[in-house]
This record gives sequence, structure tokens and C-alpha cells, in this order.
Amino acid sequence: MTRYGQEVRRLGWVYVFPALALYAVFMIFPIIYNVVLAFSAHPFYSYFLTLFTDYVFHIAIINSVLWVFVTTLAQMALGFIIAVLLERFVLVGKSVFRTLLFLPMTITPTVIAIVFDAIYAPNYGLIYGVFARLGLASHFPTLLGSPVTATYAIMLVNVWQWVGFYVLLYSVGIANIDKELLDASEIDGAVGWSKVRYIYFPLVRGTHWSLFILGSIQALQQFPLIYLMTEGGPANSTQVLATYIFQKAFIEYNSPYASAISVILLLLAFVVASVPLVITRGDFSIGGRPRNA
Amino acid sequence: MRSSLLSRSLAYLVLIVITFLSLVPTIYLIDVSFRNPVDSFSPALITPNPTIANYQTVFSDPSFLHNFLNSVIISLSAVMATILIAVFASFALSRIKIPARTLIFNVIISSLMIPFAALIVPLTVLLKNMGLLNNYLGLIGPFTAIGTPFGLLIIKSAMDNFPQELEEAAIMDGADNFYILWRIIVPLIRPSLFVIGIWQFLYTWNEFFLALVVMTQPSMKTVSLVPLQFQGPYLSDPGALFAVLTLVSVIPMVVYAAMQKWFVGGLMEGSIKG
Repeated sequence: MTRYGQEVRRLGWVYVFPALALYAVFMIFPIIYNVVLAFSAHPFYSYFLTLFTDYVFHIAIINSVLWVFVTTLAQMALGFIIAVLLERFVLVGKSVFRTLLFLPMTITPTVIAIVFDAIYAPNYGLIYGVFARLGLASHFPTLLGSPVTATYAIMLVNVWQWVGFYVLLYSVGIANIDKELLDASEIDGAVGWSKVRYIYFPLVRGTHWSLFILGSIQALQQFPLIYLMTEGGPANSTQVLATYIFQKAFIEYNSPYASAISVILLLLAFVVASVPLVITRGDFSIGGRPRNA
Repeated sequence: MRSSLLSRSLAYLVLIVITFLSLVPTIYLIDVSFRNPVDSFSPALITPNPTIANYQTVFSDPSFLHNFLNSVIISLSAVMATILIAVFASFALSRIKIPARTLIFNVIISSLMIPFAALIVPLTVLLKNMGLLNNYLGLIGPFTAIGTPFGLLIIKSAMDNFPQELEEAAIMDGADNFYILWRIIVPLIRPSLFVIGIWQFLYTWNEFFLALVVMTQPSMKTVSLVPLQFQGPYLSDPGALFAVLTLVSVIPMVVYAAMQKWFVGGLMEGSIKG
């Protein structure tokens, strides 16, 4: 129970007011306004119906779902493996590895997009250089120019940028595992792979869920890399909901249509983020242990 | 720890290879900025004949320094505002324990699940009607709104996690709550403030989507938009373009490298419950 007096409790509302005001103005209002805009073209007709027959929208929503699972799971897998190697085997230089792996997180997406454009480029790019050295120059794939590979080429950039963040949070999760539990498991003969499988992996469950939600939302709002590297092309093959919203609103000046797509994006995010919350009943934390343990 | 020398060396080897691969784009970025026009786009990671001519080209027209100033003002304001608002809200929810605190907390935290791209259209309309396009506040406001739930999550859990004895003694002595908050509680949760501060700085410094649609005047653009302005003029001079890119990236890299100890320490200190 609080020891603060009645007067201070009234002040509490003043203290929490700015946070609530920001939330109302910049979160709730835009969400409602999205719905209003989507129906603004005509009172009985909305763009939601148009979306069903818009094949670019179909590409965009499939790609957005693909982004959620491919990038998030790749980042989680890599981040977990690297963090286990770091926490288990590395005695000297842990923070050097962590800092260097986190470095891409500090770079502006505009810079990243231009650099990777050059790395992926045919005839002079770094990857082309590797192909040429191996005598495979004629087999070099134009990664960003082909509708088959472009999306994955951009996803790879996302994974490269975020993996250090996942390593960091998995390190936090592993560092918070009860030391007695680790010692006990060694006495029980858990070593090598079985230790990773039965000790580390389940005990950072909270981190898995937190990172899955975080990564999904991040994947759903990925805009700069796609916009700057392919502008949704070639032939709309890299279009996601975020880039399609931008195209409709700021290039074709069709805000109602863009708002209809935005509502779908909000619903998609809600579904993706709710699944882990329902499965775990919200009982997880980045630190590893469940809240009520 | 009974890991053998062999498995430990193997782990080091794997980690060094991964870290090197992860560094390749950054090394390439910096190296191209030191290349002369002839081999600026040769498929090599390190140029044999570096030059600083590109930096002389870039600094011959230092107008982009103004864009750095824009980003500094916007980022620092958003960081300060986020920390202030989150500290006050956490105090009300965790310490004063106002009624409906769980509901308020969950409602604000739920905005962590909103993909910001979905709000870009109504936000632009809103900011236009408020006269905040091409205005620092047009970015500071939304950035603070985005940072606050994360700040609340971390700062509130830090406040929840330390014992109340210290402040109770102060309450008995009749200290006012401002004193208790800023002199007793805040110094104890400083690691969490670092986490929020650094994260929010990196986010606001690098944010692209909202900055693109809000800052349309060249003089108001933030650093994350600067490379686009130089892509055209420096099309035939990639070395100069990459010099701009390197300059844009140096500040957040140095800020993070200098403060990573506190960032990691703050994350390690308390498990973040949500």
C-alpha cells in the first residue's frame, strides 16, 4: 500500500496526464481518423471492398506476413546461437563482440540502403567481386533486379542490421538464468547440445516471446529499406503494406485508399502481437523468468 | 564451466567470422569514402590508394551541417521529453499508485504493438492542420509519443523492483514528493534512464518515414534525409557521396560505442517485465 497522502494522489493524475495526452493525440486519434478517412470518399462505399480485387495489395499483404516470419525468426535463431556461444564460451572480449555486432543498429537506413545497393550491384558490387574471383561472374544474380530474389535480398539487410540487438537481449536473458539451475544441470550430465536444448532454450522463453512481438512489429513497419532500395519494384514484387500506404497517399494522393490499407495493417499487427500474448497469457518478461514465478 | 580448450577456440573462431561478416558493409562504407574516382566502385573491400579528397569536396559546401543541427535539436528534445514524461507517469503508477493504474499502464503499453507506418497518413493530416509541417515540434511530438510506452515499460519496472524503505523514511520526515522522486528514486534507477535515452536517441536520429513526409523544406530536413539530397549531385562522384554517408553515420556510432557500457548494464540490471 502506498504511503503517499490524498493530496499527492490527486497530483498523480497530473503526473500521468502528459503520457495519456500524447497517447490520445498521436495514437488513438490517428487510428480513429484512419477509419474515418477510409470511409470518406463515399458514405456507403469504402475502399475495403476495392482491396479484395487489388492484386498489388495482395502482393503487399503476403510480403508483409513473409517479412514478419522470415526476418523475425532468422534474427531470433541467429541471435540465440550467437548469444549462447558468447555467454557459454567467451571469457575475454564479450562486450567487444556485442558492441561490434550492434553497430549496424546505429546506422541510418538511408546510408544502409545506398551501401547495400552498391554491395549487391552487378559489375562492381562486393558480392559480384566474390563471384568474379571464383570465376562465376556470368552466374551472378541481379539480386535486387529480380522479382524472385529482391524481397529476400532486402530482408537480409534487415537481419544484418537487427541481429546484434537480438544477441544483446538473449545475452540478458541467459545472464539472468539462475546459476544454481545451471550447476545442477551440469551435475545431471547436461552438456553441449542437450544443455542448449533443455536448459538455455526453454529458460529464455520470455525473451523469445518478447523478441517475437518486437520483431514482428518492426518487420511490419519496415519502410525505408524497401522504399530506398527498390521502391516496391521490380513489378511490385517487393511491395509491403507500409510502402503501398506511402505510394497511395503520397504519390497517387489517394489518402482514403491509403487509410484503408493502414487499417488492415493495424489489424494484422494486432493479430500477430496477440497470438503470443494469448498463448502465454501475457506472462513473460525479457529478463527470462515469468512475472509470477 | 568445463568447456574444453578446443570447443572454446571453435566458438571464438565462429564468432570472429560472424562479427567480421557483420562489419563488412561498415568497412566498405568507410573505405569507399577514401577512394579516388577511378577505383571508387571496384569490387574490393579495401582500396590500395586512399585519398582524403572526397572529404575536401564535401566540406567545400558545408550547408549540410545545418541538417545536423536539426537532428541534434529534435533528438535531444525528444529524448528529454520522453524521459521526463515516462518518469512522472511511472512515479504515479508505481509509487503514488493512483486508481486504475493497471488499466492505464496496459493501455499505454499496448501502443508498442502499433506499427507506426499505419499512422503515417492520419498523422500527416493532423500535423498539417496543426501547422506543424516543417516544424521541429512536428517530429518531436510523435517521436516522444512513440518513445513513451517503452520508457514507461522500463522505468516503471525499475521503480517496482527496488524496496520502498528509503522513500518511506523520507515521507515520514515530510519531504515533498518532488524531492523524493528526483533526489531519491531517480538516482537509483539511472541505469534504466540510460537505456531509454540511448535507445530513443538512436531511434529519433535515424527515423526516416515521418521525417520524409513532415520535413519537405531542404533547410528543415534531418540527417536521415541528407543522403537523398546528395545522391543526385554526387552521382558521378561516389567517393564524395560515401564521405557524406560516413559523416552521417559517425555520430550515432560514436555515441553508442561511448555509452554501450551503460546501455548493456541497464538492460542487464533489471529484467524488463511486461
